Amino acid sequence: MAKSKTDLLQGTLDLLILKTLALEPMHGWGISQRIQQISQGVLCVNQGSLYPALHRLELQGWISSSWGASENNRQAKYYELTKTGRKQLETEKEDWQRLTAAIAQILEA
Amino acid sequence: MGKLSKRIKIGFRSIFVKPKVERELDKELQFHLELEIEKNMRRGMNPEEARRLAVRSFGGFDQVKEQCREARGTIMIDNLLQDIRYGLRVMAKNPGFSCMAILTLALGIGANTSIFSVIYGVLMRPLPYQQGSQLVIIHQAEPLAHQQDIGFSAKEVFDYRDMNHTLSGVVEHHSMSFILYGKDEPERVKTAVVSANFFDVLGVKPLMGRAFVPSDDVRGANAVLMLSFNYWKESFGGDPNIVGKIFEMNDRPHTVIGVLPPIPQYPVENDVYMPTSCCPTRSSDRFIANRNFRMMTVFGRLKPGVQLDQARADLSTIASHLQQEYPDSYPKSTGYNAVVTPLQEDLTSQAKPTLLILLGTSLLVLLLACANVANLSLARLMRRQREMAVRTALGAGRGRLIRQLLTESMMLSIIGGILGLLLASSGMKLLVTFVARFTTRASEIKLDGSVLAFTLIVSVLTGLVFGLVPAFSTEKNLPSSLREGGKGAGQGAVKQKLRGLLIVAQVAISCMLLIGSGLMLRSLIKLQSVNGGFNTDRVMVMRLAPNFSKYTTPQDYRNYFQRVLDTARSQPGVQSVSLASNFPFSPNGLTFGPNTNGFEIEGQPVPNGALPPQSDTTVVTPDYLQTLRIPLIRGRFFTDDDKPDGLQVAVINQTLANHRFGNEDPIGKHIRFLNPGGQPNDWITIVGVVGDIRDYGLDHAPIDEIYGPLTQNNFAGNLIVRTGGEPMAMANTMRRAIHDVDNQTAIVGVKTLEEFKDDSLVNPRVTTILLGIFAGLAILITAAGIAGVMALSVSQRTHELGVRMALGASQSGVLLMVLRQGMILVGIGLVIGVVGGFCLTGMMSSLLFAITPTDPVTFLTVSVVLTVVAIIAAFVPARRITGIDPIIALRSE
Repeated sequence: MAKSKTDLLQGTLDLLILKTLALEPMHGWGISQRIQQISQGVLCVNQGSLYPALHRLELQGWISSSWGASENNRQAKYYELTKTGRKQLETEKEDWQRLTAAIAQILEA
Repeated sequence: MGKLSKRIKIGFRSIFVKPKVERELDKELQFHLELEIEKNMRRGMNPEEARRLAVRSFGGFDQVKEQCREARGTIMIDNLLQDIRYGLRVMAKNPGFSCMAILTLALGIGANTSIFSVIYGVLMRPLPYQQGSQLVIIHQAEPLAHQQDIGFSAKEVFDYRDMNHTLSGVVEHHSMSFILYGKDEPERVKTAVVSANFFDVLGVKPLMGRAFVPSDDVRGANAVLMLSFNYWKESFGGDPNIVGKIFEMNDRPHTVIGVLPPIPQYPVENDVYMPTSCCPTRSSDRFIANRNFRMMTVFGRLKPGVQLDQARADLSTIASHLQQEYPDSYPKSTGYNAVVTPLQEDLTSQAKPTLLILLGTSLLVLLLACANVANLSLARLMRRQREMAVRTALGAGRGRLIRQLLTESMMLSIIGGILGLLLASSGMKLLVTFVARFTTRASEIKLDGSVLAFTLIVSVLTGLVFGLVPAFSTEKNLPSSLREGGKGAGQGAVKQKLRGLLIVAQVAISCMLLIGSGLMLRSLIKLQSVNGGFNTDRVMVMRLAPNFSKYTTPQDYRNYFQRVLDTARSQPGVQSVSLASNFPFSPNGLTFGPNTNGFEIEGQPVPNGALPPQSDTTVVTPDYLQTLRIPLIRGRFFTDDDKPDGLQVAVINQTLANHRFGNEDPIGKHIRFLNPGGQPNDWITIVGVVGDIRDYGLDHAPIDEIYGPLTQNNFAGNLIVRTGGEPMAMANTMRRAIHDVDNQTAIVGVKTLEEFKDDSLVNPRVTTILLGIFAGLAILITAAGIAGVMALSVSQRTHELGVRMALGASQSGVLLMVLRQGMILVGIGLVIGVVGGFCLTGMMSSLLFAITPTDPVTFLTVSVVLTVVAIIAAFVPARRITGIDPIIALRSE
């Protein structure tokens, strides 16, 4: 099982966070669960490294944060995509697609 | 912008609101762990195991926290460091550009730092007295007699002190020279005679010992002295045991009771201070009783809450009251009044116009420096087009590029600022000496926190100003930049236009600066070439101060002076010698103006209450004319036969003869001096008319003057000596000769008349030099700017010019075309500069002598000079065109 897990490429964590937040505002734990769920356990997000990334993205202005009540009524910090964050997501998505397409082409050649 | 403010907010919070941020971070991570533990427990783990697994998959709580802190705090600093590193590399890669830019900025910022430190120290810094803004100076003025400050008599000091309702203290001050015995040589000391509560009202505490108390200032009290800080330092080497020492002055022992802290002294610097009871003149019954013996300056402190206007109204009421009570002392015709001025304003009013002109000038130089560096940056940016395009392609946003460029310009300006600060501090001493001529506040000028803050702000602003222009002209059209590699002809059109505009601005500013300094220079030349009416070659002046208490009767003085004259005349190498109560360009005369007295001409009585004719009066000896080479126009000058009890005689100058006697012959006419409120003097016969001299400064037209012989008057303490050779070589011989006559005579101010003349012109000269330096810098920077623009334009258009030449244009034709384009910019700048100069030089009129601020000669000369410089600056790089080979040029791209 451990072998089939893939470490994240540098820089892709940002993309994943942005994409995850594009659906709805979420707290940190929620984001980590969602990424694992959707990737069906293939992508192993080191839970700790999620938070520095969140704080960095907030500083860049791509996401914003606010405190709110969680499902079981506890105080949780929720993150939300900003307008510029949405644009950034599009750019990063395109970059990613270009990159993967190029690599795929090379591998197939 | 919103992003920026957000960043600042977050950065601010992580720096200053740390506890809260930390708490929130803790809470956030804790929340995560709890959910993870709950999840694990839902999967059937026991609490302990659930926690362990959660913590492990989280990966080190504290490490994560530290990483979060880093992510927040350092991203901005990281970017900045990256920019700075990159900027340093760029600077090192273009040493020529960097040096030029830094040097230009250092000059601009240095000039502003120096001038600001002076303006701040003199005009803006609060007076170093307790609540200095409450201090006022009171003048009695007779505006209709053109007297702004007639001084105060003892009676007037008492009246204003006792009758006012708005001042909490009124104190008097006058300055005299006494001789202090008890050191190696008799020393003439400038002595301030003040009220006992003088320092209390000013709020000055002594550095050592005590200040005066009321019991010091009563008749018969022991005589006491306070020393000024500088005198204590310089004359006593800062002796810590000075308090209690006793010196002889005015034939009385004086005990030193205290030393003052270093404070600006006003109206003049003094060596020692004494209470009024110690001054022989001030404490004499005759002086105190006479309302018209005026020599004091009066200071006051506004009562708390009292406005200046209230004090003005209050004192005006007292003035009109006095005028009613003593009509003889305050003739209606003079417009007598009491004027209240804040001390700070009065201290600096003389320096203000010059300083403000200099500030304006230095700001213009800085603006010019900015324009020049912006221009250089633009030129460099055009060469860096490709680099910018590559960085954009690699993902740098336009904002990031602009920030990079701003960082680079900011680095230049801050390095320039530091260099400028060094320049300013090295020029400081010169400036302080210069300003000391206008105000005793000069000693307060220093490079302190406020000045450093000013330099920092100016540096940052400068960096922004010259950085923003190139930064915002960065191309938005990425593909074309990449394709053309930043070399295409159409590419830099915007920048080329901007550079043109900057050249126009530089020319305009230089033009204004040149006009300003040109006006000063013309004015100075006119001033220096004014004929003073006398000859200053090989003339030396010594000011003598005999021990006053040794000589009691007028005859004693006359004998003393006669012996001085005889001894001086008998020295080898002396051509002629005279004593005089005032001499041309004497520092006293320049500071306090003429010694005017009212007089009456026989047969022309002065109506009651009217202002009598006024004249300057000077007491001289018979060789005065010969010593100074002043022409005798009519009648005779004084001779040794004008005995004390013989016919009382006077000689008048040409101006007075024309003014009061017109076509009549003044010889043989009688005049007498008037004593306001007292009996007039005896009638005096005019026996001669002599030429006018400008003895109160070359810029002051001669005024009415009456000379009296020393034999019929009491005192004339300036020894004027004309020598056959170098006058100063005689100084020591003369000194010894005078001490042979009386070894208690203090001798001060031994200088040549030429030196006194130079001193009198030092203000306009230094102002001219400073403005000249500024203007010289300006024209140099501008010439470099023009040459730079031309060089770039030629190198960019090599291809185009090659085509033109290939199609048959002649070399000279192409050269002219390029030159013409440069000259159009210069022309526009010149027009703006001349118009600007026309509008601005009016502010200088108070500094100018004998020319108008719109002096056409200056304007024309400046235009021509600037045009010629511009043509040369443009021609040198443009000349390269003639070396263009069309074939090579066409292949060059």
